[in-house]
Amino acid sequence: MSILIEQDSDVALLHRGTRRFLLVSLLATVAIVSAIFLRQGLFRQTAELGFVAESAQDISKGLSVKIAGFRVGSVKTVTLRADGKVEVQMEIDADYMRFVTRDAVVELHKEGLVGSSVLEIMPGPDKTRLAANEAKLAFTRNDGLTAMANALRDKLMPVLGDIKVITGILADPQKGLPATLAQVRETTTSLNTLLQTGNRQVGDIGQAATRVLGKAEQDLVQLDRTLGTVNSRLPALLDKTQRIVDHVEKVAADAESSVPPLLHDGGAVAADVREIVTGAKTAWPIKNFIEAPVPQKLKADSDPHAEGSVAPR
Amino acid sequence: MRRADLFCLQLLAMSLLLVGCGSSPKPPPEPRLRMQAQEVETIGARRYAQGDYSAAARHFAEGARLQLSLDDAAAASRNRLQQAQSELALGQAQLALEHASQVREDSLQVQALLLQVQAQLTLGRVDAVNPLLARLTTLCGSASCTERGRLLLLQARAAWAGGDVALTLGQAEAALPILRAQQEEREIANAWRLIAAARLKTADTVAALAAARTALDIDRQLALPEKIARDWLLIGDIERRAGKAGAKSEAQSAYLRAQSVAQAAGLQELAKLATKALMESSQ
Repeated sequence: MSILIEQDSDVALLHRGTRRFLLVSLLATVAIVSAIFLRQGLFRQTAELGFVAESAQDISKGLSVKIAGFRVGSVKTVTLRADGKVEVQMEIDADYMRFVTRDAVVELHKEGLVGSSVLEIMPGPDKTRLAANEAKLAFTRNDGLTAMANALRDKLMPVLGDIKVITGILADPQKGLPATLAQVRETTTSLNTLLQTGNRQVGDIGQAATRVLGKAEQDLVQLDRTLGTVNSRLPALLDKTQRIVDHVEKVAADAESSVPPLLHDGGAVAADVREIVTGAKTAWPIKNFIEAPVPQKLKADSDPHAEGSVAPR
Repeated sequence: MRRADLFCLQLLAMSLLLVGCGSSPKPPPEPRLRMQAQEVETIGARRYAQGDYSAAARHFAEGARLQLSLDDAAAASRNRLQQAQSELALGQAQLALEHASQVREDSLQVQALLLQVQAQLTLGRVDAVNPLLARLTTLCGSASCTERGRLLLLQARAAWAGGDVALTLGQAEAALPILRAQQEEREIANAWRLIAAARLKTADTVAALAAARTALDIDRQLALPEKIARDWLLIGDIERRAGKAGAKSEAQSAYLRAQSVAQAAGLQELAKLATKALMESSQ
């Protein structure tokens, strides 16, 4: 009997130990699940924001929503509206609503050139008015690589066209590079010929100059002789000239005193004569015999240099 | 002296006094500036007649200026026209054209247009001549127009410059009787010279030679060296073209005459022409 009693107390002890272990395990499991939920944000407060886009291209459920590069939420729903536009609802952490202004713009762009798409909320300039929960924001789509490639193509196409035209002109055998090269070749040949001719002519000039210098030397000798002759005769000639000049001066001095009164008298006499003649012309009966001056007609000559009969060219 | 003679003398004196008193009143004297302007124009005309065209042009220019200062537009235009004529004789065709174009008086329009035609022909602008000739034909188309002979002659010159030989002959021959009636000897010689050149062109050397010699005779009478030299050159050309026996020596003789006349008159260009023709004919 004592043995059975001892076995009952051991079982009870085992039962109590098992219950304690199960309780601790249950508490640990609850703590772990709670921690996981907390980590997943299940208990965090969220806010909803929305926007309307023309197309749902590159927008899908779960797409990250960022502010200033930090992930603050994700796309909750993407629905096609009756008017053909796409309505997108985002769910973001309510703590970050303090950065979202009413005039904020949601921009879809790629992370890097070929990275995944992401929605970035760009706050507007008016920081005082914050967006409310379930507010509708503006949406814009940043150009991706294709758009950039298209823009680049649009810019490059005219340049390529110009290059094609220039290449065509350069390749033109009449006006292009071949013709220019031919002209350059021809010019070079002409230049060589010109240089050769120039050299020859310089040589000829040199010879001619030698001859001219020889002649000049002879002329200088002749001039020297002539100057000698002039030198011997000049003093006498100068003496004679001086005498003539003296005589002319004397005559001029005499004339200076006698001629002006004579001229004055002559002028007065001429004026008197003109007056007398004019008077006589206008006096009766002489005026009847004098014709009044009438304009005379010039003798006409339509070909004064007799050039009119020269045969036309 | 008898009483009768004394009476006759008194009667004569009285008669003279009465005639003197009864004659027309003395006109007011001509103003000094107007007399000066008329005198300048008269001197210009005298210089032109003497062949001093440069002095004539200067005097007519001064006359035009003086008359303009007296507000006598008609007299100023007359002087301007005569200035243009003198400049044409000097060989200054462009100046002559400008001055003839300035003449606005209706009574002088025909003369002004004739001078413009002459100037344009001298400048070799045949196209510019036709509108002027058309205006002249309108103004001077009737037989009563005193400048009709000169107009016909200029039409002949224009036709010659345009290469129309038949029209040249027609107009020049039509001008001859009118010019003869007006005793315009210089113009008659011009017409004969033109006829000679046109006849030479049609290879009618006999008629050409006769016309050229007629022109030469008139120019000799008028003592115009430049025209005489031109006539001899033309005669030389006709003789060369005739190709008769002895024609070569005849042509050379004519060119020699042209050369000597031109050299004596100091006409260098004509002398060169004659020398060139002489060399060509001797080859």
